[in-house]
Amino acid sequence: MMKLFQKLGRMPIGLTIPAFAILLVVFGIPIVLLFLASINAPAFSATNYLGFFAQTANVRVLFQTIEVSVVATSICLIVGYPTAYLIVAASKSVRITLIALVIIPYLTSGLARTYAWIVILGDRGVINNLLLQLGVIHSPLQLIYNTMAVYIGMVHIMLPVMILPLVSAMMGIDRSLTAAARSMGARPLTAFWRVFFPLSLPGVRAGSLLVFVFCLGFYITPAALGGLRDAMLSTFIAAQVKNSFDISRIATSAFILLAIAVAVLFLLGLDLASAQGRTATTAWKSWVVRISKLDMLKRYFSRFSDSYRAKLWTTQLYQAGDDSRLSNIVGTMFVLLVMVYLHSPGLIVIIMSFSSGTFLEFPPSSISLQWYQTFFGDPSWRGAAWTSIQIGVAVAILSTIVGTLAAYGLNRTHPRLRSFLTMTILTPVTIPVIVVAIASYYGLVNLGLIGSRTGIVLAQSTGATGIVVVIVSATLANFDRTLERAAKSMRAGPLQTFWRVTLPLIRPGVIGGAVFAFLHSFDEVVITNLVSGYSIRTLPLKMWENIRNQIDPTIAAVSSLLMLVPVLWLIILYLTWWRSRLRDHRSRPELET
Amino acid sequence: MNVNTSVSVSEVDALQSGPVYAQIEFRNVTKTYGKVTAVEDLSLTVSRGEFLTILGPSGSGKTTTLMLLAGFEAPTAGDIFIAGRSVAAVPSYRRDQGIVFQNYALFPHLTVIRNLEFPLQMRGINAAERTRRVRRMLERVHLSDLGGRMPSQLSGGQQQRVALARAMIADPPFLLLDEPLGALDRGLREQMQIEMKSLHKEFGITTVCVTHDQEEALTLSDRIIVMRAGRIEQADSPEALYDRPATSFVARFLGEANMLENPDFQFKSDTPQASGTVAMIRPERICILALDAQKRGDADQRQSVNGTVEDMIYAGPLRKYHVRVGNSFFIVREHVASGQQIFRPGDEVCLDWLRSDVRFVAV
Ligand SMILES: Nc1ncnc2c1ncn2[C@@H]1O[C@H](COP(=O)(O)OP(=O)(O)OP(=O)(O)O)[C@@H](O)[C@H]1O
Ligand SMILES: [Mg+2]
Repeated sequence: MMKLFQKLGRMPIGLTIPAFAILLVVFGIPIVLLFLASINAPAFSATNYLGFFAQTANVRVLFQTIEVSVVATSICLIVGYPTAYLIVAASKSVRITLIALVIIPYLTSGLARTYAWIVILGDRGVINNLLLQLGVIHSPLQLIYNTMAVYIGMVHIMLPVMILPLVSAMMGIDRSLTAAARSMGARPLTAFWRVFFPLSLPGVRAGSLLVFVFCLGFYITPAALGGLRDAMLSTFIAAQVKNSFDISRIATSAFILLAIAVAVLFLLGLDLASAQGRTATTAWKSWVVRISKLDMLKRYFSRFSDSYRAKLWTTQLYQAGDDSRLSNIVGTMFVLLVMVYLHSPGLIVIIMSFSSGTFLEFPPSSISLQWYQTFFGDPSWRGAAWTSIQIGVAVAILSTIVGTLAAYGLNRTHPRLRSFLTMTILTPVTIPVIVVAIASYYGLVNLGLIGSRTGIVLAQSTGATGIVVVIVSATLANFDRTLERAAKSMRAGPLQTFWRVTLPLIRPGVIGGAVFAFLHSFDEVVITNLVSGYSIRTLPLKMWENIRNQIDPTIAAVSSLLMLVPVLWLIILYLTWWRSRLRDHRSRPELET
Repeated sequence: MNVNTSVSVSEVDALQSGPVYAQIEFRNVTKTYGKVTAVEDLSLTVSRGEFLTILGPSGSGKTTTLMLLAGFEAPTAGDIFIAGRSVAAVPSYRRDQGIVFQNYALFPHLTVIRNLEFPLQMRGINAAERTRRVRRMLERVHLSDLGGRMPSQLSGGQQQRVALARAMIADPPFLLLDEPLGALDRGLREQMQIEMKSLHKEFGITTVCVTHDQEEALTLSDRIIVMRAGRIEQADSPEALYDRPATSFVARFLGEANMLENPDFQFKSDTPQASGTVAMIRPERICILALDAQKRGDADQRQSVNGTVEDMIYAGPLRKYHVRVGNSFFIVREHVASGQQIFRPGDEVCLDWLRSDVRFVAV
């Protein structure tokens, strides 16, 4: 046994075997089989695809899916970019608070937040009630079950996914660059446009990609908030799985969705930071310039702008500046509005969950814990919660072990191979989730694990492992390898070195990975919905059914609990991080003396 | 009086062609950040074409002074004049200036040529003229072959030259340098000092430079101001500053100094000592001799004391002795030459200096 480990230690890539084994069995092989089914292998024909496009209903849904995704991504970008900009520009303490305020909803159950919008926008929802009471309207407005509501809900869920990569890209931009631009005569807007914006593009691309692909595969919010005409392709696919199991048709729809995602990934540049990406875009640009008359237009425009600038320069030189107070106020208001948008639905639901009447009220006329009592008193809710916790813990354990080993192995392999393998491990979180769900479903059918806990754990672990690999790899990247060599020079075996030196040092990353893996599982609906059969009910699944079938106020209590879980986890994460910082501080002076 | 000079200056300008370099004046400028006073009641005039260096320890307000001049910060009180115009309320982008930032702040997404073009574009200079000026400037800083490169593909020295070229390409009336050579290694720094000096000579542009490298300050500047806690401690030419420091702070900050507070021997000097001052002599002004060495011919203008060598440090071309004389302590620096007598710790020696080399500085 020891020998085997030593061998593996010497061949680091071996450590990735468990991760790839799960990925291959649950996702890799099935998706290849699905693809073969979609092209009618071994006969090979495009009849399925032609059949898909022959039906106008399909094409309509496909376009609707793309339209909703594009519009939602655009709104996220339009709202998220200024928000991220203002967050980065704020003073340090304000910035940290704002980032935490963006992360918290990101970690909060998407289902709970979608439910919040039902409560707010519904016919007897918060807004309609308020307007009725004020006498502004006499019959409820139709705020929900339309496209507008879909956008409100989707943007609400996707906005943090857009803001976070933007913030991290903008934090990397040297402030002195825009200062330099201004010192050379660039007005603030010009300095932003010519210097800051181009440098923030990697963040724009990363955020837009993530949001777009998320939107493509995500059907919870459109299904819950949209009307009948707002169906997404993913809703369609899920329904097909439940109703008729025509594998080649389902596979075809899934691959069409995947093809869109891949096309967009490719267009926006997969490897965002690499120089290759840059040359690709410049090549693209020069091509555009060549085929059109853009070049001439540009020259004409630049002559025009030159004379405009020259005039501006001479007339405004040494003139007193404009007052920036107004723009400061506007900026503050904007960030405040975004934060209200992100947080008020959750807060409203939490407050309403304490209603004492037979309906949810806002604000509650009196406080009671009745819906919490219902939740804890009802064996089906309790059972669902317990199932979710069990599955979540199992997923966290499995994916943390497998993912940490893989990250450790990848850290020690050749960079080229490493980036390829990392991309592969990340597929389940970088492609539309409905495609992953279909593949996992098919994989588990072959294994005979549909409707079993083991099956759900395996299906959820593919994505969770990817998350663990990302987080642990980031920690390993900062990890001083000389410490390991030092341990080895003291005759510690590879296993001992890993256990006694490496693991304790990367512990914050491993714990963080485990927490995120748990959250990933705890909030998963799309995959679980398909692979759970009819026998197993997780908390999100039970909630999802309740949201669709009957509006039971107990959900408000469940949602409130779900929104508090991540906050708890954040505190745990913060404490571990803080402890490791403290240890660092204590050990550093010892090293110096 | 200042008004007078600036009027006569502009009359001269009218006769000359080419860029007009500006005179800069700080009038009782104070800048506070909350409770911290970064710059306090600063008054200073930088004349046209002058190379002025602001020198001072960390936190003394150098960067703040430069930021005020660049228009990134507005003074809390007082006013700043550039070429006679008050600029306290003028934002950075409406000032005509060139700045070299400490980290160069080259735009990483633009080629060298595009970086150099930037200030010209902002001034609305047309494409043909831009190309011409960029080419000329690249030649001037010996970077003609590298115009197409990205800043990340340049060495530190090349980046520095691009930054300097970018600051000067639009012929601004003055140049601001924030620790311009701080990021370079020693050899390169000396080479760039020479290059910058020659650029300044050629263009004669008014320059304000911030540094805490005294050697850099002494080499480049026409005038140095030494700052301490937001105030000017002394402003003078490099020679004067080194040779006749006004305070013990300046004496210690620029080079090494022997401060003789209450020596237990009678101090002789040509000038009477004012109250509140302390005697100072530079280490290289002291000769170290064996006790039995022959007295010099000009002995009546000199003073000698006997002491014990405590330490000898050999530093390439220099030898540094630490010598105790009663309760005072001397540093003596001697250039290494052949046939010199070398003293060891414990040796009794005689220290001997010209009385006129003794300075009295404010405590
Ligand atoms: N933005 C700011 N907010 C608050 N205090 C500041 C700010 N900038 C500077 N200070 C304070 O003003 C004082 C002067 O700072 P300044 O940066 O001008 O010093 P410096 O001479 O450039 O020092 P260094 O050599 O370390 O760069 C310091 O006490 C500093 O803490
Ligand atoms: Mg500074």
